Formats: sequence, structure tokens, C-alpha cells
Amino acid sequence: MLQKISPQTLRIIALLAVLVLIILFFTTQIEGFLSGRLFNRISSSVAIMALVATGQTLVILTRNIDLSVGSVVGFVAFATGSLITNNPDLGPTALLAYAATLGAGFGLINGLLVAYARVPSIIVTLATMALFRSTLVEYSDGKSITTDNLPGWLTDFPNMVVFALGQMEFRAGFCASVLVVIVAHLAMTKLRPARQLYAVGSNPEAADLAGIDAARVVLVAFVLSGLMAGLAGFMFLARFGNITVVAGLGFELKSVASAVVGGVNIFGGSGSVIGAFLGAILVDLLETGLVRWAVVSEFWREAVLGTLILAAVATDTIISRRLARARAERAQKEALATRVAK
Amino acid sequence: MTQPTLALRSVSKSFGMTAALDDMTLELFPGEVHAVVGENGAGKSTMIKIMTGVHQPTSGRIEIDGQPVVLSGTKAARLRGVAAIYQEPMVFPDLDVTENIFISATDGLVLRRTAMRQGALALIGRIGMTLDVDRVASSLSLAEQQAVEIARALSQDVRVLIMDEPTASLSAHEAAELRRIARTLADGGVAVVYISHRLEEVFQIADRVSVIRDGKHISTRPIADTNPQLLIADMVGREVGNYFTKMPSTAQDEVLLRVQGLGVAGVFDDVSFDLRRGEVVAMAGLIGARRTDVALTLFGILRATSGQVIYKGRPLTLRSPADAIAAGIAYVSEDRRKLGLAMALPIRWNVSLATLRRYLSRLGLIDVAAETDTALSFRKRLNIRTPDVEMIVGMLSGGNQQKVMLAKWLNMQPDLLIVDEPTRGIDVGSKAEVHDLIRAFAAGGGAVLVVSSDLPEVLAMGDRIVVMREGRQMAILDSAEASQEGIMALATGQRGAA
Repeated sequence: MLQKISPQTLRIIALLAVLVLIILFFTTQIEGFLSGRLFNRISSSVAIMALVATGQTLVILTRNIDLSVGSVVGFVAFATGSLITNNPDLGPTALLAYAATLGAGFGLINGLLVAYARVPSIIVTLATMALFRSTLVEYSDGKSITTDNLPGWLTDFPNMVVFALGQMEFRAGFCASVLVVIVAHLAMTKLRPARQLYAVGSNPEAADLAGIDAARVVLVAFVLSGLMAGLAGFMFLARFGNITVVAGLGFELKSVASAVVGGVNIFGGSGSVIGAFLGAILVDLLETGLVRWAVVSEFWREAVLGTLILAAVATDTIISRRLARARAERAQKEALATRVAK
Repeated sequence: MTQPTLALRSVSKSFGMTAALDDMTLELFPGEVHAVVGENGAGKSTMIKIMTGVHQPTSGRIEIDGQPVVLSGTKAARLRGVAAIYQEPMVFPDLDVTENIFISATDGLVLRRTAMRQGALALIGRIGMTLDVDRVASSLSLAEQQAVEIARALSQDVRVLIMDEPTASLSAHEAAELRRIARTLADGGVAVVYISHRLEEVFQIADRVSVIRDGKHISTRPIADTNPQLLIADMVGREVGNYFTKMPSTAQDEVLLRVQGLGVAGVFDDVSFDLRRGEVVAMAGLIGARRTDVALTLFGILRATSGQVIYKGRPLTLRSPADAIAAGIAYVSEDRRKLGLAMALPIRWNVSLATLRRYLSRLGLIDVAAETDTALSFRKRLNIRTPDVEMIVGMLSGGNQQKVMLAKWLNMQPDLLIVDEPTRGIDVGSKAEVHDLIRAFAAGGGAVLVVSSDLPEVLAMGDRIVVMREGRQMAILDSAEASQEGIMALATGQRGAA
């Protein structure tokens, strides 16, 4: 029975099980932990991180990493905010398109440097992380975007309740983000070009021999990552309204953590967008839980979080390796049996 | 016969000064299994790379269906119907069988999983196999991965399928299965190129067989018109100028190393030989003979599972290379790039790399003056051609790199020196110098085990010659009684173990 389910599905189920376990644990530890408010809090925050993690997943699948996403989120949030402040009549579509294009543009810079100038992605994006952030500081001239200058439709959007289940409110921001994740997931599993992303990350040499243009695939992954960070920047602006030069700081590592916890192999080739989405929820849940858990002092919170993430990934690696071995052994036995039968 | 599907016409390929292929002509007809045999380094891999578009010929031309073509890359070759499978399959470990087979397909944006699965099952069925097409490739055996590769080639209407040592890592049953698949494909009109070291296999499967040597085409005969002896003669026959002079033995009486029934489960077994001080023993065999694995076991990288090693009169258990180095055993790897040298570092750093402890001052700092002295003395002794010892090793020629690597290990002042393919890829002049150095080390009381695929080198250097074949020791020959033909007959299994 267990063997019939694909490893990817199994991973998702395991992640869901871990999520339930963590919720149960904190519920026993913290009074009133499990509530509609918890859901609303986490869903609002995940709405932004899920977008960044989706883009990050695409890049990691190709054996690369994008450390500039946090700066892109910040820059796009600020630039989009200042555009609407100066042109209050601009419609939602135009503003969203502006954010997406700006993000994709940053992704293009990363992608060209990694895919065609052949500079390792960790170096390129470490540099552009600082570059994009400094450009933001220069561009903002030390000023901030404030909620007062933004149109109501923008700031109301994330908190608009689409539907509610008891105390749990499904807000527009979260719903939109989930929609994007679902579309991305379907595209990654159903479209032919998406398969090339997996191929390049799985075995670059074989991909070359199979006639796949690896450089172009990597470029596309970075552009999409930039685009997703751009969308996240838009969401960030809508949710917070007040944007300073530190917007999106630390998102790069959190998005990597989400992807890795969600079962995306850091060495490329395997993982899913849904997994990264669940990973983002898991990381956020842990953070929220730890903040409210009196046993862990503020100083140890980061350490505990780091340890838990490490444990999650290590367990996942060990379990999936065991499963793969069991599968191979079973297949070998079957092959032997059919050979004997012949 | 009809028109050849693919033909090489006077194709030459050189890399810098070395000619890897020289005026090669080969015709491949539809429906034939065409075996290609030759020693290691005869130019087979270069020939494959030319046919699959990885390399471009320096001169000469490739014809497909009688028309000259340019294969500008692997994709171009694939589109023309030329595909290759290798001993190590090129699959995507994270994708399943179906996805692997159709990775290069271009029809349609949306994947139609059901249709692809059907297609995959049909292709696997066409080569007469049963395989769960939903399994992830990393869980497949080597033989199954090769089947997946063949199915992928079939999905692209392959017309020329090159199989490079496809059975080298397979069990006897799997190998028979693969030969059956190759025959099925040929019967369906594919031109199959079958490259193998196993001569008995060649006689089981091939319709015609070509011998290449030193990058040249030597002969092509229908299988009925030839026999193993004839093939071996073609494979080893060399012009006299290429022979090295036989070196007189310097062997003493003291046995330094006694290997008794040594084995590593699943890799090689029952290897036994003695090595005396002052003696050079050469180990001959073809790819897959497991000679390097024997060397790695004696250096503590592989763990022996049977037999024992008596060294300096006492049993020796090696758990790591550090143990071996401590016992005075040095191993000069065949892979300069991966295991031998730090290419980005200067000569001086490389020479002291394995012995750095000796160059530490009392404060624990590196004594650069002493280090430089050592490097300079080796430069003189080994005739390393370089203006100074601060030169980055990667900038040196192959021959000089080889000498730096020898210097690094000689600097350890070992008792036992194991050298793996000491002269691969270096010019003839440097080869002779490396031979002299190794002999000089032996004359000084050291013992040497030389692993080499170069038969003239084996004959010139070895006082005795251990011949290996597929993890088994076939014979120990005295250099006086050994010949290239004799060694090759043992190495290809045409003559049984003595």
C-alpha cells in the first residue's frame, strides 16, 4: 500500500503529519493556541512568503540559489508604493504588472550572470542582494512609503474576507497566493518545459546529451524567481502599507528554509512547489509557536528554530533514502521472481 | 551491400600536438552489429565523440546516407538518428522511467501522462523487457538504466546506436539480455556499433569487427573470417620505434610485500603475489580488470574483505590512506586532476603536500626555505622543466605534472611505491624519463607496483607481470617469457588462468 504512493505524494503527507503534530504539541503547551486568530495570523504572513518560496524552489531545482529575493521584495514594494503615491489614479492591473515586470527584470540580471557569464549563483545573488538593497536606499533617499498615501483598494485587499469557516477567515491575500501556488504547481507537473528544469538539476551532463539548453533553462528559472519576488513585493506593500528600506530583509534565507523543509533537494533535481508552500507554513508555525511558548527564552528562540529545521530536513532525508532503498530491493526481488518463473 | 547509414571518411582529430584519431575510415550498415575493438587509449572514445557530435573532426568528413553532414553537437547528432549509450548510463536520477524516456520529446506544451506511459511501456516492450515505468531512475539497476537509455534512443527513431562497453558493469545474465536487445535492434534495421573488451562477446554478437590502434583503422573483417588470435595481433601490433628498452632487474632477495588471497567482495578476489625490494612488478589488464581497485586496497582506500597482506614480515591491516602512508606506502593516482595534484597551487606546495609535517618550524609555521630547497632538488633530480617552483601546477605540461606528482610521493621516502598509469597522456620523451625515475627508485631499495594499460610499458618496466581480467588474477608472467600477444590473450580471456 505504502509503496503504491509516489515518493512526492508521500512527502506531502509526511509534511502534513508533521504540521498536525506541531500544532498538537503547541496546543498542549500554550493556552488558546489553536484558534481562528492563529490561522489568520499565519495565513497573512505565509501569503507573502509562499510566493518567494515558489520562485526560490524553481531556482534550487536547477542546482542554483537566489539570495537576492529579499532585496527584490523590498525594492519592488518601495518602487510600487512610490509609483501609486505619485499616480493615485493607476489601476490594480497596471500596478501589479509594474511590480511583476520590475521583479522579473532583477531576475533577468541574476539569470544572465549565472547562465551566460557562468558565475556561481551563490556569488552572483550575494552581490546583487547587496546591490539591489543599496539601490533601494539610494532611490528612496531615506524616505518611507506610508499607508496614508496609498489608495484604499490596495491596503484593504489583503484583509478582505473571501469566506470564513467559523473564526478562520480566508482573506483575499492568502487566497490569491494559494491560487498562484496551485497554478505554479500544476505548471511544474504538467508542462513539458517545466520537466527540463528537473532534468538540468538532476543530471546536467545527461541534460546536455538530451539536447536541453541548460543555460536558457537556468535563465528562465531566475526570471521566474524575480517575478515571484516582485509579486511578493506587491503583497508586502498591500499588507503593511508602511515601507522602509529594510522591507523584505531576511526573506532570502527564510525562503530557502521553506523550500528545503518542504522537501526540495538543495542539490537540485527534486522537490515540489506545494512542498515549499507547506514548508513556508511549517516554518511560520514554528516561529509563531516559539514566540508564545514561555519555556523557550527570547535568546534561544532562533537556536531552537534552527535546530528544528535541521531536524526536519535530516529526518526527511533519512526517511526518503530508506524508502528508496526498500523500493529498489523490492523491485529487485520481483525481477528475480519473474526470471525464475520464466 | 546497401549504402552505409553512417560513414567516417578519412577522419582525423588532434588535441594540440597529439593525434587521437588518424585518417579513420569506418562504414556502418543498417542491420549490422559492428564490433569495434582496440586497446585502452586506441581512440575509441574519440571516435564515439566524433560520431555523436561532441567533437568536430580536424579533417575528413562524416557521411549519413551518403551525404556529407556536420554534426555540430549532440542535439544535431540525435536529430540525425545517432545516439550512444555508455557503461555508466546517462539518466536523470530524480525522474521516473517514463519521464526519462521522453525528456527530449518536443511535441506539445502540456504533458500527456497517460499517452507517455503507454508509449514508454511500448518502447520497453519493443526491446523485450518488463519494467515498472513509474519507478524513479535512481532506484533502477545499471542494466535497467541502460534499457531506459535505449528506449529513449528508440523514441527518437535511432538509426545508429553506439554501445560503449555496455556490458562492463553487468552480470552475465544482464549482459546476455543486453546483447539480445542489440541484436533485436539490428534486425529492425538499426546500425549497432558495439565496443567491447570481451572478445568472446564480440564473437557472440557481431556481424563484422573492426580493430583500431593508435587512432588508426587497422582492419575490418566479417566475423566468420577472423579469430581471436588474429584480432589480438591486430590490436597489439606496433611499429618498432614505439618500443621502450627493457630495463634490467634490480630485485633483491628481501620480500617487502606479500599479498595472499586478497579480495574485496564484489570487486575482485584471490589476488596473490610477492614484491621484493628493488623489484618492479607490473599489473596489466583492460578496463574493468579491477587493477586500480587492487592498488586502492593496498593503499587503504578500499577495505579488503578476504585474504591478507604481509608487509615487512608482519601482517598489515589498512583502514585508511593515512595508515598506508604511515607504513611507508605511496600511491600515485592515474587521475592527476581528481586524486593527484592540487592544480591551482604552486609546485612547491604540491611537493610538500603529503609530508607537510616535516616542514613545520617549532612554532608550527611552515618553513618555506626548506620547502623550496626540496622542491628545487626534485626539479633537478626529475628534470621538471619549469623556470621556478612557484609555478602553478595546472600550467605545466602533462609530463611535468606527472613528475611533480612523483616528486610529491618520492618526497615521502616510501618503501613501497604504487603507480597507476604513470605515463598516460604524456609524450614519449617524458615517458622514458618517468620509467627511468621509477627504476632508479627501485634500484635504491624500494619496491614498485606499476599498474599500466600500455603493453610496451608493462614489458619494459615489469620484472614480473601480473595479468588481471574482470577481478581475477589470470597469471604472473616472468618478463622474459611474456609477450604482448600472450598478455592480451589472458586479459581478454582467450587464454585461461594458468
